[in-house]
Amino acid sequence: MPVNCNPPVNYREALPEGYPASESADTSAGLVAFRLVTSLPPTVGDFDSQRRLHPGRHFRGISECQACGVSVFTKVEDCRMAGKLPALRGKQVCRVRLMAGAGRIQQTGKPSHHTWWPLADFDILGQCEQEAA
Amino acid sequence: MKFVRYHSTLFFYDGPQVIEARDNIGGHYIGLLVDDGGELPGFVFVGTPPERLRDFRLGSVDLRTLLVEHSAEGWFFSSGEATPETRWILVPQSIALTETRWLPEPGFVLHDSPAEEESLRESRARNNLVLEVAVEPPEAATEHRIRIGTLAGLLMHLQTMFKHAYGAALRELSIDARKQLDRTDAHLMDVIIPAAPGSFRVVLEAAKRPDMLGQSELTRALQLIDEMFEKTADPAATLALMRQRKGHLAGAYLRMLRFLAAHRSGLRYAWAEPNFPTAHRRTLAEREAQPLIDALSGVANLGTETIILEGALDKADRKNGSWRLLTNDGTESGDTKSDGPSLESLRIGGNYRFICQEEIIEAEGSGRETRKLWLIEHQQI
Repeated sequence: MPVNCNPPVNYREALPEGYPASESADTSAGLVAFRLVTSLPPTVGDFDSQRRLHPGRHFRGISECQACGVSVFTKVEDCRMAGKLPALRGKQVCRVRLMAGAGRIQQTGKPSHHTWWPLADFDILGQCEQEAA
Repeated sequence: MKFVRYHSTLFFYDGPQVIEARDNIGGHYIGLLVDDGGELPGFVFVGTPPERLRDFRLGSVDLRTLLVEHSAEGWFFSSGEATPETRWILVPQSIALTETRWLPEPGFVLHDSPAEEESLRESRARNNLVLEVAVEPPEAATEHRIRIGTLAGLLMHLQTMFKHAYGAALRELSIDARKQLDRTDAHLMDVIIPAAPGSFRVVLEAAKRPDMLGQSELTRALQLIDEMFEKTADPAATLALMRQRKGHLAGAYLRMLRFLAAHRSGLRYAWAEPNFPTAHRRTLAEREAQPLIDALSGVANLGTETIILEGALDKADRKNGSWRLLTNDGTESGDTKSDGPSLESLRIGGNYRFICQEEIIEAEGSGRETRKLWLIEHQQI
């Protein structure tokens, strides 16, 4: 049966009703994810979704829920690969520990690319550390 | 003035970073996000020959090399959101791209390991979900040939299974999740290689392009089909699964098995999306089809589904037991069975809820389906 993951759980950003979808997974099992951030240590703004950064944009071709999540990789090499692109150049690789209370995550696209929907109460910055070059 | 339209996303991170675009005469362009700070994202576009773009999709050439190779002939800048509706007006740039800060660093490739399997390679090359199906009817035993009816029937049965598997997969999603999906034509596949070398093989791809994350809606359907072909050597296990999956998908599967048995052929398939590490493969040996048919044929109404219709009664032929209901989704008509409910008490124009058994009937051996509704209960609303 589909799980309605939204209410009563509070996500960091408002999500469409019924999202994240049942295909997403809880982070309780624990995993390490990698994200490109502007500087280390990161700021909470480094974990803003595209929807928060660009409220007026149309995100056709992906669901609104995807636009409200943040991209992370589960393989550090993939994150470093993304950092070669001009729009992401200069960003640093940040390692984030995801555990119970971190929210939900779903593999989207490339095997290591995931969309993460953090919970409002999750201390993101407390779980971040610099990834060794 | 030159312009290009969005074709597909090749790399996604917080939005499309590397995209493919086409101009109005079918020319291929690679688009690279270079500025995401403004009101609209800014892209660099470079025209590339299709074969070099294919090399990039396969991971055998890096992005910087591709851009440097072809930007000498001209490159462009344009702003606009990467959506299927966007038309980027290309503004030619006079300085060399190599003199800007907009080139990626060396070594950016889409796949860091080569695809060993043909279906995966084809999927990456096309940046789409690809399915490769092989059958072995007797006429293909000694040479590369297949009867027209066998090929046509095979393709029809496959498309029917995809349709019902997609429908079954959607029913597992919440209503809200379903509403967010663009389901138009999502179950359709196109033949891209009608007669590949080897045993008789056909290669198909999703008719609809994947979303910006590179995911095809058809994946949902093929994952269910994988389940059905998982234990073909074990009729009891397959029967247990089909009892759970009872409905049109189970009916389509049974019809496919009957088709294969009638044409004395097994079936092998492999499918992949560009980002899969390996293709998904399943095999049904010719000898496995009949025991599966025997097991599944023993279940009554395996291929029927119960559906509920609501609307105004437009016709009730009490003598023949046929009826017509005007619902919000259109006109539905059907019949009653001899042991089913009577139409006697129903009033034309009255609003009713009809609980019906929906049965799919295949035109003998063709894979073509007709739908039949049997009224099993009615309620006034």
